[in-house]
Amino acid sequence: MAPRNRDDNFMDVDSDSDISLLGDAEHRGKGKGKGKATDKRKKDKGKAKAKEQAYTWEASYTRSWDTVQEDEAGSLQGAVEDLMARGRRRRLLAPAAAIRRTIIRHLVLLLDLSAAMMDRDMRPTRFDLMLQYAREFVVEWFDQNPLGQIGVVGMRAGIGERIGEMSGNPQDVLKCLSERTRLEPTGEPSLQNAIEMARSSMSHLPTHSSREILIIFGSLTTCDPGNIHDTLDACVKNKIRISVVALAAEMKISRDLCDKTGGQFGVAMNEGHFKDILFELVPPPAQRAVARAGGPGANPAADLMMMGFPTRLPDSSPPSLCACHSDMKSEGFLCPRCMAKVCDVPTDCDICGLMIVSSPHLARSYHHLFPVKPYEAVTSMEGESMLQAACHACARIFSTSVSTAATSEGMSPWGRYRCPDCHNDFCAECDVFVHDVIHCCPGCGK
Amino acid sequence: MITAYLLWLYRSSTSHAPNWTKYLTCIISAMEKASHLSVIVDLSPTQWHLSAQTSNQYPLSIETFLSQLLAFLNAHIASKHENSLVVFGAFPGKSVLLYSSTELLSDDVPSLDANSYLPFKLVDSTVVQRIMNEFDAIGELDEEPSCALVGAVTKALCYINRITHPSSTTAGVAEDPSIVHDPRILILSVSPDLSSSYIPIMNAIFSAQKLKVTIDVCKVYGPDTVFLQQAAHLTNGSYIYLERRDALLQYLIMSFLSPTSIRKILAVPKQDKIDFRAACFCHKNIVDIGFVCSVCLSIFCQPLPVCST
Repeated sequence: MAPRNRDDNFMDVDSDSDISLLGDAEHRGKGKGKGKATDKRKKDKGKAKAKEQAYTWEASYTRSWDTVQEDEAGSLQGAVEDLMARGRRRRLLAPAAAIRRTIIRHLVLLLDLSAAMMDRDMRPTRFDLMLQYAREFVVEWFDQNPLGQIGVVGMRAGIGERIGEMSGNPQDVLKCLSERTRLEPTGEPSLQNAIEMARSSMSHLPTHSSREILIIFGSLTTCDPGNIHDTLDACVKNKIRISVVALAAEMKISRDLCDKTGGQFGVAMNEGHFKDILFELVPPPAQRAVARAGGPGANPAADLMMMGFPTRLPDSSPPSLCACHSDMKSEGFLCPRCMAKVCDVPTDCDICGLMIVSSPHLARSYHHLFPVKPYEAVTSMEGESMLQAACHACARIFSTSVSTAATSEGMSPWGRYRCPDCHNDFCAECDVFVHDVIHCCPGCGK
Repeated sequence: MITAYLLWLYRSSTSHAPNWTKYLTCIISAMEKASHLSVIVDLSPTQWHLSAQTSNQYPLSIETFLSQLLAFLNAHIASKHENSLVVFGAFPGKSVLLYSSTELLSDDVPSLDANSYLPFKLVDSTVVQRIMNEFDAIGELDEEPSCALVGAVTKALCYINRITHPSSTTAGVAEDPSIVHDPRILILSVSPDLSSSYIPIMNAIFSAQKLKVTIDVCKVYGPDTVFLQQAAHLTNGSYIYLERRDALLQYLIMSFLSPTSIRKILAVPKQDKIDFRAACFCHKNIVDIGFVCSVCLSIFCQPLPVCST
């Protein structure tokens, strides 16, 4: 008796999956020895479930092919454009308030160079794709953060290898990423060794710059010499922000690293998604709220850094040796404090250590501090007395017909987007261009 | 046929051929491509009134200026049939698109005249008519708002973005993406620098760098503008300060008519002394070494305990 009861219970637990997996005929065959009443009940339950979905995981499965519809002529062009425009608009719905961001950043890029990276689930191999995206990431990062520095560390054969020193010149960083033969993946990765190496290289930096570690991790294991939680505590104490982009699956230690230090964690589903979550880390992160003993309302004192503005020597000046490479050159920049010639700015002067920047570099980061207000989509035409016939910025004529594709939130059916300050209408392309590239509304002109 | 000749020239020039074949390749390939020019005209009435005063060494009134400018625009259109032209006017408080070669915004076509060439007449009449309309609309104002140069530059960049990256519009007008190369912006400025426009101008410069647009500046009247000097330098354009204002057309044709690809061979005058130093936010002095707030990036000449921004 007891075994049968237990058998019944046992059948109860996995009967759901058995029903859908094997179908009704099989189940009838299997349940021959059990009571007919229980059979029927389970069959009904199975049938009812089969109407909604066959498996429970299908609840989160999006049927992306349902959203694509052909228009009258049978072409998919309109649907494709619609999907792309919607994707662009979604990116623009980010918060537009001017929040404090750290402008001077130091980032250590931790690349997984273990044997698991030679897996071919991302074309051509995870390793090649990671190198390619890392190069694009470095270019974009220096474009958005000209005052930052990047160093590269690799995790290979159980130790951390220093691939590139911390440098503010994108060409140097790209050079050490391009020597592919030096970076051949082998062995097991070690998270602790690599993070320790990154942390020690950033320990001497001043407090007003943000310290970040970006880990691109493709393996499911890590072999560490000690307790990785000690390393994690040391990172939290040093205010280092760790972000992880995982290529395989989520590991609890990766998630812990990111949550405890305030970084971002993502698992790449495909190549495009990998690029997206990697590039999400390009803009400066919001500064964490610092608890101050000064009481509420006291503005936390921001540190002032000493920086020098150089004078530029044109090509026509007499050639002399530069301080950084000892090359004979005519053009360069003169450090204002020690009058040494350096080749490129922004950099730290090799002689006196002063940070040398030119004012355009500082200006490149201003748009993070003064963002453009997002445009509102024009959803209804009621109460419109005077309509502009063309986009205010590029003079593209607006279509008078309503777009027939299903409109999601944030999209205007007429393709018009209005600035809340100057009340001018703009087309979708200008909307993306103004918010992503120019950071200045043409109507407001401010 | 021409492409085969070009290919032969290119192959021979990259090996060990003398320099003249390289130049020839450059010229022929430049002749094949169309170029786009966006002209931004600074039309602030007070500045033009001051420029026309006879107390200046070389007075330039707005009528003379416009006639010389129209001759330059005609020259650009005449250089190549596929060249495209857009003219923006920066008036006090707003900026207006005056003429665009890709679309006809007005319905009235000027009357055909036996002595005039229709494309030239179209440009001339549209530009002058629109400028007159805008000047009439300004009316009498007690205080003139500042010139909207920044808005005009931003609009020019949006327009260039539209023609260099076309997506099929709902209106169904297909634009050939291979037509536009080397877009240029020419700014004719008479007003002094505006300190509030520093950040938008720098943003415009960086977007111009991304779109590979060359910004040229011609300073017709008024003091030297540091922002526009930096704009021209950072985008590999040329900044010219006119000494003989009555010879405007000569300056325009010599320096600004040639497209970017020809500028490798035909040197255009540039200004080398660019002042990159910044001004401090508290006293507006030019500083060599400044103290920069890590949060708001404002520059101070003396260290302060708390940033004032």
